[in-house]
Amino acid sequence: MGANIYRNKKPAFVFLLPAFLFMVVLLYYPFFKTILNSFMHLKQLGATATAFNSPWYANYEEMLHDPNVWTSVKNTIIMMLVTLVGQVGIAIVLALMVDNIGRGKQFFRTVFFFPIVISATALGLMFNLIFLYDKGMVNQLLELLGKQNLTDWKAEGIALFTMMAPVMWQYVGFYFVILVTGLNNISDELYEAARIDGATALQRVRYISVPLLHNVICTCSILAVTGALKVFDLPWVMFPKGMPLKSTFLTGTYMYYHTMETKNVDYGAALAVLIVVLGVVLAKVVNAIFREKDY
Amino acid sequence: MMKKRMMAAMLAGAMVLSMTACGNSGDAGSAAGTGGDAGAETPAADAGADAGQEAETPVAEPTGPVELVVTTTFAGEDSNAQNYKDAVKAWEAETGNAVVDTSATSDETFKTRVATDFETGSEPDVLFFFNGADSNSFIEAGKVVSIDEIRAEYPDYASNMNDDLIVASLVDNKKYAVPANGYWEAMFVNTEILEAAGVAMPGANYTMDQFKADCEKIKAAGYAPIAAALGNIPHYWWEFAIFNNQSPATHLEIPESAGDENGQAWVAGMNDIKELYELGYFPDNTLSATDDETFAMFTEGKAAFLIDGSWKVGGIVSACQSDPNDPATLDSAKLDKFDVTYVPGKGDRKATDLVGGLSSGYFITRKAWDDPAKRAAAVSFVEYLTSDEMVPKFAQHGASALKNAPEVDSSQFNVLQIKAMNMMAGTTSLTGAVQDLFAGDCRVSTFDGMPEIVTGRVAAEDAVAEGLEAYHNQ
Repeated sequence: MGANIYRNKKPAFVFLLPAFLFMVVLLYYPFFKTILNSFMHLKQLGATATAFNSPWYANYEEMLHDPNVWTSVKNTIIMMLVTLVGQVGIAIVLALMVDNIGRGKQFFRTVFFFPIVISATALGLMFNLIFLYDKGMVNQLLELLGKQNLTDWKAEGIALFTMMAPVMWQYVGFYFVILVTGLNNISDELYEAARIDGATALQRVRYISVPLLHNVICTCSILAVTGALKVFDLPWVMFPKGMPLKSTFLTGTYMYYHTMETKNVDYGAALAVLIVVLGVVLAKVVNAIFREKDY
Repeated sequence: MMKKRMMAAMLAGAMVLSMTACGNSGDAGSAAGTGGDAGAETPAADAGADAGQEAETPVAEPTGPVELVVTTTFAGEDSNAQNYKDAVKAWEAETGNAVVDTSATSDETFKTRVATDFETGSEPDVLFFFNGADSNSFIEAGKVVSIDEIRAEYPDYASNMNDDLIVASLVDNKKYAVPANGYWEAMFVNTEILEAAGVAMPGANYTMDQFKADCEKIKAAGYAPIAAALGNIPHYWWEFAIFNNQSPATHLEIPESAGDENGQAWVAGMNDIKELYELGYFPDNTLSATDDETFAMFTEGKAAFLIDGSWKVGGIVSACQSDPNDPATLDSAKLDKFDVTYVPGKGDRKATDLVGGLSSGYFITRKAWDDPAKRAAAVSFVEYLTSDEMVPKFAQHGASALKNAPEVDSSQFNVLQIKAMNMMAGTTSLTGAVQDLFAGDCRVSTFDGMPEIVTGRVAAEDAVAEGLEAYHNQ
């Protein structure tokens, strides 16, 4: 009798129901509604669409000819590469260095993790001041070093760098903490044995730390790539409406632009569908590349 | 076994109920907090809720403290942001009611927010908003109450206003919004830069050719002639560039196509801005800067001319205070260096023909009107904010729709407000902004597309044609 309770799974379904309903109402319903809206004529957020576009796939056709869509997809892919190299790459280096110091590990963990707890909007405003054209921090420093002309850090040629640098900086600490935790899980005996065998510090990293961190690095990489698809707030605060000349749009900011700024809600919905498709495809690719190993 | 099943079902039920209760608790809390007094629920509200009589239109009497949700554009650098806060506080003290203020700086995101609030049924009770095309969607949906309907119950509502000056809706020609203060758009000048560049202060006969000659001198002196962020807020230059190729009589006519006479005027206006850009009269970062940045260039003596609205007087005064919120910290010597004059004219538009009018007003929403607890409070709020005593505080040096506008007490004005008043005295005409009629996605190709136009990536004719097509498809 007592063991029957474990065989009967029905109560578990009852407990799962609230969470399931929550997901249906707040995620799946809006998701399928967005797909439907992308085929409808809808110019006002919150309004009810009453007619299909003519032809019904007009928004998807327009997407193919919209240069800003390609700019935003290209920029998003660049953002992914930057997050991989800039966030995970730098985090690996920092984690390995901190793991090799005797004292102050906790101090560096806190220092590097701190940007994560600051809101992206606040960071955007802060970096706006840092990169400000007139009397911004960077331009003042360059002026002190003897530069005569002001640099427009938001000009078309370098705007992407100015946008991506703060995003990269913000999340390094997140991956750093995950990687440091991974390093802590590697047994000291392995390092001790290698040291006795005469391995240098670099060799210990190359042949012990990095291979045993493989799965953690894979997890970080997947998080970084999928996270890059969702980056929105900091780029929007620093470069609203994809300025300058619509060159800094990401898929997320371009979708928001059409939904909130141009009152082209159905096109925004089509862009949202594109983001989902892009996310699914890229997640598959990343999972295939960064496959975890069994040890 | 049965007991355990029952227990599981009860626990699940309790979870669902607790979630529901959580959802309701906010409402309960807000209801309890109505009027800022937990125990002060109105009898009318109770009666309506108990009897389920929402469908009936109850007679609104001031039944007790209520909480009004109010959205306005009196926020940020708006000249009247502080006046509005003071007025709300005074009304709250006088009536015992409370205001939940959701005001924000007026921009496209704000307009979208307001429209979305109406669509989703979360509109405010009272709204100070544009009475042009921006209000079409909620007027079409019947979500605001006309002044005539309000007067049927409150005959004195807005009776102190000259009805002829209250702007009618583009949807049904009815009047909905009670205006508080008018606006004008003109050209602010940093006279310190003019002196440094050897340029005389522009006057009433200022032409575009003279303006370009002055810009050349200012540029040669090492300053940016025009403070404008074309990639962010090209609105003022857009309006006047088009106006300069039309006349006050034709400015509010929206072209049928880019090829007709008015359409060509719009194209010529866009090309005029392009010419100024190519001549290097805008700041180097005009395509990547925000409006705040170029405004700071103007107030910090790095750019000479700024076309903007009457609300910017307050912004300039704040920039001359060491503490923007404390008028006592005003640097009068710095403020003396700013002036305001007419926008250079061209063709049939004289410099003294300005853009302005009464483009905003207080709307009472249908939701508040149908709420027996809020109807009287909403009317009282609008009447208070548009009273003969309050309007002059908001209108300052601008126009109002008051029947008996009191004599302006300029002794309370700062030097820039007096200069603005003198400038307005020489105005030959005040025409509304055509962009107020040309709202929505039709603006995108020439507003957001301005950087592409001035850099030659998109032809002005194509951008205007795209916008007009969107307008006529609305």
